Amino acid sequence: MMSILRPLIIIACLVLVWQIIIWLSNVPHFILPAPARVAEAWWVHHATILGHAGVTLLEIALGLLFGALLGALSALALAYFRPARRWLLPVLVASQAIPVFALAPILVLWLGYGIASKVAMATLIIYFPVATSFYDGLRRTEPGWTDLARTMGASRWTLLTRIRVPAALPALASGLRVATAVAPIGAVVGEWVGASAGLGYLMLHANGRVQIDLMFAALLTLAFFAVIIYFIVDTGLRRALPWQPDKLPTEQEE
Amino acid sequence: MLFTHIRRVLFPALLIFLLGGQAAQANDKLTLLLDWFINPDHAPLFVAQEKGYFAAHGLEVEMIAPADPNDPPKLVAAGKADIALSYQPQLHVQVAAGLPLTRFGTLIATPLNTLLVLEDGPVKSIADLKGRKVGYSIGGFEDALLRAMLARHGLTLDDITLVNVNFSLSPALLAGQVDAVIGAYRNFELNQLAIEGYKGRAFYVEEEGVPSYDELILVANPDHMDRAVLRRFLDALEDGVRYLVNHPDESWELFIRGRAELDDELNRLAWRDTLARFALRPAALDRARYARFAQFMQDQGLIEKALAVEDYATVLE
Repeated sequence: MMSILRPLIIIACLVLVWQIIIWLSNVPHFILPAPARVAEAWWVHHATILGHAGVTLLEIALGLLFGALLGALSALALAYFRPARRWLLPVLVASQAIPVFALAPILVLWLGYGIASKVAMATLIIYFPVATSFYDGLRRTEPGWTDLARTMGASRWTLLTRIRVPAALPALASGLRVATAVAPIGAVVGEWVGASAGLGYLMLHANGRVQIDLMFAALLTLAFFAVIIYFIVDTGLRRALPWQPDKLPTEQEE
Repeated sequence: MLFTHIRRVLFPALLIFLLGGQAAQANDKLTLLLDWFINPDHAPLFVAQEKGYFAAHGLEVEMIAPADPNDPPKLVAAGKADIALSYQPQLHVQVAAGLPLTRFGTLIATPLNTLLVLEDGPVKSIADLKGRKVGYSIGGFEDALLRAMLARHGLTLDDITLVNVNFSLSPALLAGQVDAVIGAYRNFELNQLAIEGYKGRAFYVEEEGVPSYDELILVANPDHMDRAVLRRFLDALEDGVRYLVNHPDESWELFIRGRAELDDELNRLAWRDTLARFALRPAALDRARYARFAQFMQDQGLIEKALAVEDYATVLE
């Protein structure tokens, strides 16, 4: 019962805070519209919003898939090959420092204005959290376990696959959680550079046409789906790693 | 006797003269938000600044370039700045959406928007756009403009594919990803193509079925505007336009003074092509022309109802 009520109460509180901000600060409706106006805009345009949401959700899903795969593979390569660590790690870090608006036009030029460039942008943004978390996890294996394995005659490959990877799975899970949280940003940023569909496109379009209510309605829809996706991924990861304790002391009493 | 005279009369007179002079020199401050990064479309403003015309009219104008062209009118409507450079089509939509804005002056009195194609491309006339891809930037009213331009040749928007290329209009056209782009400015993108060694062909929107409009206008919040101060601003701006028209080469030097990053070939070519388009009388208003464009926007479904011109445009006496 509480698990359904709690999110509703949180949402109600946030809407209340929003309305209070509007009452107190006298901000004009074309900069921050009131919740009622946004709700009305959502109701009037919900077909359009949900249509665009579908496109963005597809970009997020594919970006997560490719980003996670590439991230995991890179981390494994870095953990297994010493030259890779020396040469690839700086490139990995640099890839995150490049502002996206510089890369996005290049991606669009190579991959066109269809969904491929948006998925590539999302993949780029998702790739780093997954790669670094997994790589850290692989590096930080308990020394006791690695020593024991070596005394038992394990090769580098067996050490990696039987000891390091399973021990690093919780770290990978953490990376995936972060990736899921930033995936919507990746998809939307990709859309800003050149798209004809998607919530990012809808937000820009509404902003240019001074339909701020619609812009916020699309924004909130994106936030809603982002939260849903996060909880799905989080639950899935918890089920996949049942042996990893992840409860804090007070929760264990429940 | 003479020394007493100096002490009693001349010194106080001198003091009053100096102090009085200081008080008279307190200039009225204005914040002006440009529509985009500094470019030759803003020439008269910078000429007025550099030649001291604003100071001569007792004004101190701070010009700020925004990152997002949609922000300046909103900020002026919210009372955070005095003047914004905006676009006439956007003004109609903004006022219809309830923003408190009014146009009090014009900077560029002609449209700059064009439908741009490559000279040796497949599109020789607008009718050739059938079945082709047209690139555009979000935030303009490109679909409305295209609808009007296509209608003249018996086409509708369903006969073309619109692709949002978001500001990289020339690269998309050159890379062949689109066959035409709308939203390209005749003084900019056309020259950009020429610099890359390509010849572009421009279809001017006002020649293809769209009523003429002002591309760059000056807007203020009618509830906060100081009409006397803004009138002096327009006087100084008119001085800037006058100097620009009479001395274009000296004006260029003033434009790039202290802004060396603006001194490149594209800006030089754009400068030359923009000179004929500045409003020679920034304060003047042609009501029928504005009403005609408002009617066009209503016919295209961009606004529900064309408002009375007094509701969004004013003449400062």
